[in-house]
Amino acid sequence: MAVTTDRAALNEWIACGWPEKVVPGGKYRTVLLGQEIEVRRTGVSSFEVFECDGHGELSRSLPVQAKYCCIFTTLGEPIRPLPKIPEFDEADRRITGCGSVGVHTSPFRIIENFLDMAHFSFVHTDILGAPERTEVLAYKTEHRKDVDEIWAIDCQFYQPAASKASKGGQMTHYAYRVMSPFSVMLYKNVFDDPTRNDAICLFVQPIDETECLAYMPLAIVDRESALTSIIDFQQTIFAQDRVILENQRPALLPLDPTIELPTRADASSIAFRRWLKAKNFQFGVYEKKAA
Amino acid sequence: MAERPDRWIGVALDRQIKPGSSNPAIVGGNAIAVWRAEKGPANVWEDRCPHRGMRLSFGFVRDGMLRCIYHGWGYELGGHCASIPAHPDLAPPKTICANVYRSEERYGIIWTNLSESPNAPLPDAGPDQGWQSIRSVYVARQVAAVKGGLASFDWGGGRVEEIGEGAALVNAGGLSLLIAIQPVDESKTGLHVVAKGEGAKDAKARLAWASRLERLRGSIEAQS
Amino acid sequence: MAIKLYDYSLSGSCYKVRLLLGFLDLEYERHPIGFYPEREHRTETFRAINPLGQIPVLEDDGIRLRDAQAILCHLANKYDMSGLWLPRAPELYGLVMMWLMFAGGELMAASAARLHDLLGYDLDIETARRNAHAAFRILDDHLTRREIEGGTWIVGDHPTIADVACFPYTALSNDGGIGLEDYPALRNWLRSFMHLPKFDAMSGISEFA
Repeated sequence: MAVTTDRAALNEWIACGWPEKVVPGGKYRTVLLGQEIEVRRTGVSSFEVFECDGHGELSRSLPVQAKYCCIFTTLGEPIRPLPKIPEFDEADRRITGCGSVGVHTSPFRIIENFLDMAHFSFVHTDILGAPERTEVLAYKTEHRKDVDEIWAIDCQFYQPAASKASKGGQMTHYAYRVMSPFSVMLYKNVFDDPTRNDAICLFVQPIDETECLAYMPLAIVDRESALTSIIDFQQTIFAQDRVILENQRPALLPLDPTIELPTRADASSIAFRRWLKAKNFQFGVYEKKAA
Repeated sequence: MAERPDRWIGVALDRQIKPGSSNPAIVGGNAIAVWRAEKGPANVWEDRCPHRGMRLSFGFVRDGMLRCIYHGWGYELGGHCASIPAHPDLAPPKTICANVYRSEERYGIIWTNLSESPNAPLPDAGPDQGWQSIRSVYVARQVAAVKGGLASFDWGGGRVEEIGEGAALVNAGGLSLLIAIQPVDESKTGLHVVAKGEGAKDAKARLAWASRLERLRGSIEAQS
Repeated sequence: MAIKLYDYSLSGSCYKVRLLLGFLDLEYERHPIGFYPEREHRTETFRAINPLGQIPVLEDDGIRLRDAQAILCHLANKYDMSGLWLPRAPELYGLVMMWLMFAGGELMAASAARLHDLLGYDLDIETARRNAHAAFRILDDHLTRREIEGGTWIVGDHPTIADVACFPYTALSNDGGIGLEDYPALRNWLRSFMHLPKFDAMSGISEFA
């Protein structure tokens, strides 16, 4: 496996684990963009990350940050800081990661699926969507240039069971936020409370172009459910997405809009693909081979 | 991109592609969906929804349409998209179309020709009527090795005759076996076998032939 | 007294039990176990419930059972008055047991492949996939013969707990990177199973059979 040379990918903070993955004093190896790394938990909340050379020996030390129930590092020179997600500092929220889930596809397929509402009725049937209420109403997308983030706002979809706390169906209001090519989150209104939003993140660790680990930290408003049940709900949803993600062809994301035909409901996907194209991404994207 | 020569390749037994189902298969490295509406002949399409690339062999059939499992887009016979559930009031543009391959049902076998300009004739095994399905077997060897195995196998006195590149006929006493040969990839070949004659009339005889085909598979795979 | 199931949504073995509880219309209390990432099934607290540290576990009227296949036998034996899910006829009973053992034995290679791909279990994935294919071929050969005989189910004319036990890890094979292209009879059996009244899907298996 070769390390990517794509600076656009190298110069991002990328998740490479979560704090409780090993006990203090423990360590593990993983792969980031084709580069083997070693993550060491030196204390309860202190970590070190090293690059490994071709012989498995540790070479250079890499920057590390532990935040949002994840450990982040970078192989390059980050062009942006980690995003600010203030919901993770609110005392009354339930905050947890869900471990990592392996997915064989491009990291961008995973991000794009997270932004998509049109699949709710078919993939998350009777939970996030109902088979008889499939319509995606118009929503807005915008590129926030000051932070270089893609947002989709004024999104709404009818959901039979929007979260673990739900006791019935509701029109759920969503806002989506692409914080980097490898990280995305959503805000969705809490069941029966339009004034508060659950914050659900998805951080993707690309092992290589078509193999990833997905992390789903949550900061949600739910006083009643056991944490185990909250994680179980989130994993149930993601495992429904995963079988789709692993069976899209090609696995790499096509940026040319003539290869995969979008419709209005795909506005966020269109914005995301344009944004990747403008960054001249090579890693994880599909290039139509010349005949 | 895998090659798509102008020739007919058997991909399944007619009887095993159930009404209202979509099924995966691989032909010379090309992934296809073999699907059938609630009634009517089987269809062979590229295994890829034009919207977001999801495999259509994971799809489901409703009201004569093949629907993609990802977003429920519905495709009519012929491949045109006729329904986009995210926009119930929108008439989908004519440009949205699944990639449809030529397909034929003959001798109880579903055949496809993936070529962009298909002209080759179907293998000729005589009259279409009277063929009974035995079974499909998949052998973990490439086509050449499997053809060699077919030639050297003990067919109980019968002999093997190739009909073009993609099929073989075995005549053994009161029975004819037609074997469609499906190149899957570099390491696998599918065989779809039907039979005609007294020796295939009852279930007991067909069971015996199904067991014999398992032995054929074993004998080919036993060779290095 | 209520039936209690120690359960994890993404577990195919727990799904076997949930399926039969559904088919038999039995009410039960679901006790979620934090299988991943918490590894609650490996804690001392849970080992007091099942020393093997595995799910599912079923409690029913003072009896505590581990092993999905044993639980299926218990539920069918106690609650299925029709006797169809666990037939006692000598020409069927032994065959049902044989395929139950297969579900808990050879077929578990497909579970191993899934745990590797989904949750990162450290095991030899090529061996797991090869063994899963070998098991699928055995089941497909059997179901092919059943088709020729005019049968749909693994044993007899009605679905049994052998079908219930073999269904989950076969239907979830894609989760472990194992395609079912080579197994037409097996695919048609899966489809028939999903059309059973009261069938309930789980993550990784489509609702729209």
